[in-house]
Amino acid sequence: MPDNTMAAKKLFTPFNVVSGSIIIAGIVITIMRFTMGLDAVTNLTNDNPWGLWIGFDLLVGVALAAGGYVTSAAVYLFGMKKYHSAVRPAVLTGFLGYSLVVFALAYDVGIPWRLPYPFLIQQGTTSLLFEVAGCVALYLTVLFLEFVPAPLEWLGFKKARELAVKLTLALTVLGCVLSTLHQSSLGALFLIAPSKLHPLWYSPYLPVFFFISSIIAGLSMVIFESTLSHHYFADKMDAAHRRENEGVTLGFGKSASLVLAGYFIIKAMGIAGGNNWHLLGTSYGLWFLVELLGFVALPSFLYAVGVRNRDLKLIKWTSAWTVLGIIINRLNVSLIAFNWHLPSSQRYFPHWMEIAISVFIVTVGIVVFRFIVTRMPIFYEHPEYMDITEKTASTEAIP
Amino acid sequence: MNKGKHLLRRACILAVSIVFIYCSSLYGSGQVSAVSSGARADLITLDAMKMFGKLDKAPVEFLHDAHTEALAKNNRDCTACHLKENDRLFPKFKRTADTDRIEVMNVYHNGCISCHGEMRLAREKTGPVECDDCHREKPLNSSSRQPMGFDKSLHFRHAEAQNKKCERCHHEYDEKEKKLFYAKGKEESCRSCHKAETKDTLISMRLASHIDCLNCHLENRSKTTPNGPLDCSGCHDREAQQKIRKIATVPRMDRKQPDRVLLKSVQKGLEAGSENRNRMNVVPFDHQAHETYNDNCRVCHHERLKQCNDCHTLSGITEGKEVNLENAMHRVDTSTSCQGCHGLKQEDKNCAGCHALMGKARKKADDSCVKCHILSVIEKEEMLDPDGETSLATATLESRNRVNGTFSEADIPEKVIIKHLSREYAPVDFPHRRIVNTLVNNIKENKLAGYFHTQDGTVCKGCHHNSPASKKPPHCGNCHGKTYDEKNPLKPGIMGAYHQQCMGCHQEMGITKPAGCTECHAVKDKPIVSRGL
Amino acid sequence: MSISRRRFLRWLGAAGIGSTIGKSAFAAGNKHFEGYPESYGILHDITQCVGCRSCEAACNKVNKLPVPDRPFRELSVLNEKRRTTATAYTVVNKYEVPGKKAPLFRKSQCNHCLEPACASACFVKAFKKTETGAVTYDPSVCVGCRYCMIACPFEIPAYLYDEPLAPRIMKCTMCYPRLMQGQLPACVEACPKEALTFGKREDLINIARERFRKYPGRYIDHIYGETEMGGTAWLYISSVPFSEIGMREDLGVTPAPELTAGALSAVPVVVGLWPVLLMGIYAISKRKEVIFQQELDALEEDARSRNREDI
Repeated sequence: MPDNTMAAKKLFTPFNVVSGSIIIAGIVITIMRFTMGLDAVTNLTNDNPWGLWIGFDLLVGVALAAGGYVTSAAVYLFGMKKYHSAVRPAVLTGFLGYSLVVFALAYDVGIPWRLPYPFLIQQGTTSLLFEVAGCVALYLTVLFLEFVPAPLEWLGFKKARELAVKLTLALTVLGCVLSTLHQSSLGALFLIAPSKLHPLWYSPYLPVFFFISSIIAGLSMVIFESTLSHHYFADKMDAAHRRENEGVTLGFGKSASLVLAGYFIIKAMGIAGGNNWHLLGTSYGLWFLVELLGFVALPSFLYAVGVRNRDLKLIKWTSAWTVLGIIINRLNVSLIAFNWHLPSSQRYFPHWMEIAISVFIVTVGIVVFRFIVTRMPIFYEHPEYMDITEKTASTEAIP
Repeated sequence: MNKGKHLLRRACILAVSIVFIYCSSLYGSGQVSAVSSGARADLITLDAMKMFGKLDKAPVEFLHDAHTEALAKNNRDCTACHLKENDRLFPKFKRTADTDRIEVMNVYHNGCISCHGEMRLAREKTGPVECDDCHREKPLNSSSRQPMGFDKSLHFRHAEAQNKKCERCHHEYDEKEKKLFYAKGKEESCRSCHKAETKDTLISMRLASHIDCLNCHLENRSKTTPNGPLDCSGCHDREAQQKIRKIATVPRMDRKQPDRVLLKSVQKGLEAGSENRNRMNVVPFDHQAHETYNDNCRVCHHERLKQCNDCHTLSGITEGKEVNLENAMHRVDTSTSCQGCHGLKQEDKNCAGCHALMGKARKKADDSCVKCHILSVIEKEEMLDPDGETSLATATLESRNRVNGTFSEADIPEKVIIKHLSREYAPVDFPHRRIVNTLVNNIKENKLAGYFHTQDGTVCKGCHHNSPASKKPPHCGNCHGKTYDEKNPLKPGIMGAYHQQCMGCHQEMGITKPAGCTECHAVKDKPIVSRGL
Repeated sequence: MSISRRRFLRWLGAAGIGSTIGKSAFAAGNKHFEGYPESYGILHDITQCVGCRSCEAACNKVNKLPVPDRPFRELSVLNEKRRTTATAYTVVNKYEVPGKKAPLFRKSQCNHCLEPACASACFVKAFKKTETGAVTYDPSVCVGCRYCMIACPFEIPAYLYDEPLAPRIMKCTMCYPRLMQGQLPACVEACPKEALTFGKREDLINIARERFRKYPGRYIDHIYGETEMGGTAWLYISSVPFSEIGMREDLGVTPAPELTAGALSAVPVVVGLWPVLLMGIYAISKRKEVIFQQELDALEEDARSRNREDI
């Protein structure tokens, strides 16, 4: 009897209840989506074909999953070994993020089982979406292969695991290439519609803006995610992980500050290039300034202050603020500054079911994340592979 | 740690205050309290500095009537701002000449700001004293000023008021003596000399008209007779202009102008031995009648009261701005040429139904040329004296036929059933004779129409176009076929031809009934389907 | 720098192959597509349109679209502005223009651009600019991403959002099947005023200019669609400025594909150069490690030898 209630108590934790109900609601809405069409569950119209699922699930999802390539590049290409403990969580976040992006796409796209068509049937190579699709598909494979050592270690497949680890360098390089391409191409998607995007956000440099901000997103997301993980999964972490955390926070905070400063400058150049200074005086201009000053300049400054004073708390809060800023930027480009010229009766606001599905997808992500980190060697190094890890993870020695 | 937090706090306050100041300055500037009265006739743009180079600041909007009213309240008159030259008020502000940049600027600044400043001290409602409140980038008001001019009626009233003393207003300029004098019999319109801009001593029309008109009105102010206005809107406001009393029939002006003339290519006689360049049929012209068709002489005599071919010679000279005689007489895109003015008359509701659809491009030469070029070429030996020419012109003009030629009633079908397109709609019961009679009736009194429509069947060509006049013109379907003819893309198909012709005519004539589809042709029993299937 | 020859050659090869993978994109070149020769278009003379909606009725019938609640004869529909929808490939709108006594009407539908944004945006090549001039859509490959709707500057494509399993884009086809049979597009044939003139695009431009010449003062001297977005097959002539009849005049003359050509052309460059760059960084960081290790060893050796001396 006590065992049952104990088991029940373990199963019906507050988190499980909440996430469980979200998931159930999500499943119900999913059924509605596929039996009644997009009309029944979204506020999408002919004027607003892309809504929250593209703006948030796709654009924000891909941006925030950028921690994977940023961290593995830092550790394996730039040789910053002190961040090594951050690699696996970042890769996991990336892998889950991208998987969920593809999962979310299945909701938004009209005929999801035709998603392989651009690769198999007809290639629309003039389209930046083809570029995005191809790179995301390949990158998902790369992320999977980068992630796969963890489950292989968990399952005990030594040989397969060793093979997977040998690919690390190549995968890292490939991951960087593919990430550069698809992060920038997501921004480039909007290049084709200058008449629909507000001039302060539209720029021929949109791809560059998206790419640089993805680096910022990745760095901040690693800090943010590690903050949450250290709070909720501290018991799963090994000494190395806990020891290196401060270094990760400070180091990534420093890089983020620099990249944010650079991003601020190129954004300002973008306004200058379009000669759009006078637009800053409009209401959209004010909102643009909020984004630029409040979510780019301010975090850059706060990160710098935090790093200089070794104020971990400030850096962690700034990372959350920056993540919010990335979300705002992506939503601005895709939903708020998009179709800015239309009268308010024709503007878009998400249906509650769209919001519910987005929350559902994020919840699924968190639940899977929890499943993986509580079982697989993400926050700790598997004892059987520790020596080999240290040798192979840092790639072959060069004579 | 402390130092960092302190620095952080300071930096945040600084950042927030910068943003706040910036935003408030942007949003505040638009809301500066200023009165906007919308469109005004008395709006003068002060940009006299333009003549000295590029303007440093935006031109100033000046509301003249507002100032005269305000000054009147303080018992001040025009002399508050205007100086006198030769005992007459000069329209420029506190000066009689534009000397140089600094002086003109000082005149304005001292003149305006001192007065505004005084009134401000006296706590009275007054104009601005700050730079940007006068020199506004974004104007507050817009100008509804209508240009003013004399028409026949107003000129007659002025002439009567002056007891026909033309010298009161009309003058010529002696270049040698450098003075104005009155030349009887040579009175011209003011604008023949006074142009838009002042050139040396020849002042602009704007200056000239205000000096002459306003000073006279000022003189007459005390008298009991009706007087002209003294404020801007009295002349330049659209409503005020419409209120000006119009004489119904203005007696003909006496300036020894001809009654009837012969228009030849080269008017003057030729010296012995030179070539006769009068190779074109001569046009008898009823000048007297044309005087009644227009409000003022400048419609045709747009520069001076001279003969057209004095400036518009056969090949074109500088005085005529290189416009040769042929163009001056025949161009359709101007109201000063014969054909251009006649073309404008074709835009009348009663004419436009047919003529709008014919297009306004220059017609190729055809029989209608001889409507004007009636008399055959004059050889040198046949040159008549002026009296002889006048009698020839008079005789020819009076002998012209000006009745629209139509066929007899029996020859005009009463009804025409248009049925060969009928698919969704029933055939059209077209009241052919009634329409012809209405059209002819509408232009019965129109002399111009009469002169050109003398040949029977000409009026029919309004609809039965692109073919010679005939009692039995071809069917529309003889030329108009299916909707898209690859070889003849400019010509509409039969359905388009009918609808464009009928509906086009109704639209131009302002005919509102029949409207819609069913008032011309009823729907058949079949429900509406798309065409061509 | 001590890299093995083999390794160096390997990287070079990878970079070389990397630069050959990649799509050939015309990066803002001097190419300018002026339409297939002999391709057709339609000239819409707005001064002739009376808003009778016969074109809407014809389009509805020919494309077997669902019959609307309010019949096409009902002209009160024109009191609201409408756009193309999943059940209406074309709509006519009424415009009250200041200075004009009577309202003006304009038909709007897919403009069948010479270089269509939708075709450029589609990642499964579902759109095709055919040689007749019509831009056709193949629903059998469409995935439903709706990027074409984002791309179209004229906001034309509509989507069947209420179809759960087989949604598709709905847009004017210029009656391509009818064109193949030698017939006219249904709207052209239906218009009683022949406000729509069908013909070869060059001929239509000449016809429009001829109308400007014949009726001076009636038209604005501009053919909308001659250069907008690189040129469209549907051309419009009007008696009032186009912005007053709901047509955007700020779209520019750059065709949509050119807007993304720059970004696309960067792809092979990144694929080619990034690996070289990144491996270079890797090599540098590795080298630094080796040097550090060597210096450390040297120090150790130095300390040991000093030790030995002391002893």
